[in-house]
Amino acid sequence: MSRARFRLRERPEARAAAVPLSLRSVAVLAVASLAGLVMLCWPLFVQVQPGDRVDPPFLFLALLPVVVAVVLAEVSEGGLDPRVLAVLGVLCAVNALLRGISAGVAGIELVFFLLILAGRVFGPGFGFALGALSLLASALMTAGVGPWLPYQMLVAAWVGMGAGLLPRRARGRTEIALLVGYGVLASYLYGMFLNLSGWPFLLGVQVPGHEGSLAYVAGAPLLENLQTFLVYTVLTSTGSFDTGRAITTSIALVVLGPAVLGTLRRAARRATVTGEVRAAD
Amino acid sequence: MSTEPRASAAARTPRDLHPVAWWVWAIGLAAGASMTTNPLVLVLLLGSVLLVVAARRSDQPWARAFRLYLWLAAAIVVFRVLFRLVFGGAYGETVLLDLPEVPLPDWVMGITLLGPLTLESLLVGLYDGLRLAMIVVCVGAANALANPKRLLRSVPPALYEVGTALVVAVSVLPQFAESVRRVRRAQELRAGEQGRVARLRRLLVPVLEDALDRSLALAAGMDTRGYGRSGAATPAERRTTGALMLLGLCGIVVGVYAVLDRTAPRLLAVPMLVLGVAAAGAGLLSAGRRVERTRYRPDHWHPAELAVAGCGVLTAAIGWWVSGHQVLVAYPDVASVPPVSALALAGALVAALPAVLAPPPRLSAARAAPEPSRSTDPLPSSTPAPRASTR
Repeated sequence: MSRARFRLRERPEARAAAVPLSLRSVAVLAVASLAGLVMLCWPLFVQVQPGDRVDPPFLFLALLPVVVAVVLAEVSEGGLDPRVLAVLGVLCAVNALLRGISAGVAGIELVFFLLILAGRVFGPGFGFALGALSLLASALMTAGVGPWLPYQMLVAAWVGMGAGLLPRRARGRTEIALLVGYGVLASYLYGMFLNLSGWPFLLGVQVPGHEGSLAYVAGAPLLENLQTFLVYTVLTSTGSFDTGRAITTSIALVVLGPAVLGTLRRAARRATVTGEVRAAD
Repeated sequence: MSTEPRASAAARTPRDLHPVAWWVWAIGLAAGASMTTNPLVLVLLLGSVLLVVAARRSDQPWARAFRLYLWLAAAIVVFRVLFRLVFGGAYGETVLLDLPEVPLPDWVMGITLLGPLTLESLLVGLYDGLRLAMIVVCVGAANALANPKRLLRSVPPALYEVGTALVVAVSVLPQFAESVRRVRRAQELRAGEQGRVARLRRLLVPVLEDALDRSLALAAGMDTRGYGRSGAATPAERRTTGALMLLGLCGIVVGVYAVLDRTAPRLLAVPMLVLGVAAAGAGLLSAGRRVERTRYRPDHWHPAELAVAGCGVLTAAIGWWVSGHQVLVAYPDVASVPPVSALALAGALVAALPAVLAPPPRLSAARAAPEPSRSTDPLPSSTPAPRASTR
């Protein structure tokens, strides 16, 4: 009588990632990331003939949403489990809320805190979707949709995916240390990538032969442009916003990370368990 | 011309235009603006946008954000011009102000501050800044005019799950305030750690647990309503979908590369991009076919929607033609007064047409007043029914 009448039989793959990535999804992700990377880093590699007029390629602003849409469609192609989807929606809302709260205070940015933890717990596919969607959700809620949004979505999606790809073994303090290290790296890289995306648009494209300014010079050697860009990014954001983001992310990860990780793991267990309930013999 | 009276007759009843129509219009305008640096054309386009927003904006919260975009656009222009001033970079001959040059130390590699300020470099900064500012204003106009919640409802079927997650996110947000209140109240009744960090942890963990619990309850509700039904896509169909998406993305990568590398064959540039986007779109369509769901009260495309979207497309087409055939109008020389052609003016005029073509927006002030068709409703709509605080 005291024995449970039913038992849950877990299938071997039962505790898989929340958003399973098939081989095909991985291929789509890789190609899309390559496309995104080219659209981000084009100023460093573009070659021009003398006398050509180089405009910032506004075309990319329209192309990038297509790329992001295709990846999101591919990630959810098999049909997401409703539990995973509901958790995704709720975490998006929390992230959007954190972003909304921290946007008012200069240098404090908490977007990455939950994104990294959730990517770590739920896996790379979920992290990708969460990164892209939480920025979209917060932009929709605060009416902050702009040409910068596709870039933000893509880079934040990479951050979430990267958190899911970190070595699984680490637990306890090692894990927190690992996540903090990743958080600092991601904060600076995020700032740099977004600066790179905005650089030619914001400062314009310099005509070759008129160096000595911070603007992008089309067709200049890679190293020169890279140096100019580094000075630009250090002056504008690395010292201020990115450092603030790195510090707040690390503090949040150290202080709240273990507790939130536990909460998320509990939820992940409930959201990703699949199996069939059979009457005990 | 024959559709004109019908369109204006339909335009008289206030209603929300399809959000996608506004976005097509705004993106068309942004595309048109991106293909010119002529300040006169850009300012005319700005006037068109301001006119349409003033005429067709509703009084919902998202409509108020437009002012922020205007400030941001102004900041972009100012930043661009100031940048030219600070990081001089000798350019042109007409010196307005001869400021002393301030060379920076070696580690910033020969960048000089200030220096002679020339009219040409200021104007180049102004023209370029205006172009980017105009794109930001166009997107801001779409934000102000289109209802974001209805936009979420019209996501393509392939992104159905993603759209659902976003809808969950948007609708779950108000619950957090309530959740925080409940947790606070419960904790005031108990002793516990009082340190700053410990208090934060004691608040955050229950709120997060609560949110995740709710999400699982929501998922159970979705399950019982048949949400988790997986579609009837055969393996062959799924393979087609995957192949189309991969091909499309590869096409986009090759196209982007060819657009940037001017030595690559031109056939690989724009045609490849078009092909890639078409294949990706076909992949999205094919992925969407597995979703067999009906929409509750779908937004329809009426003539007014088509007209507004058409205005955007036409503006973009005119901008593209002008940039190809009237180069001096599209990219004027900074040394002389920028010329304007009749066609470029027509583009700005077409952009302003939705101020007339679109129906007036429904205002919530008008909606709150009792409507004659709802007079049978026992409860006046302005007082919400009391709700039990169940969850």
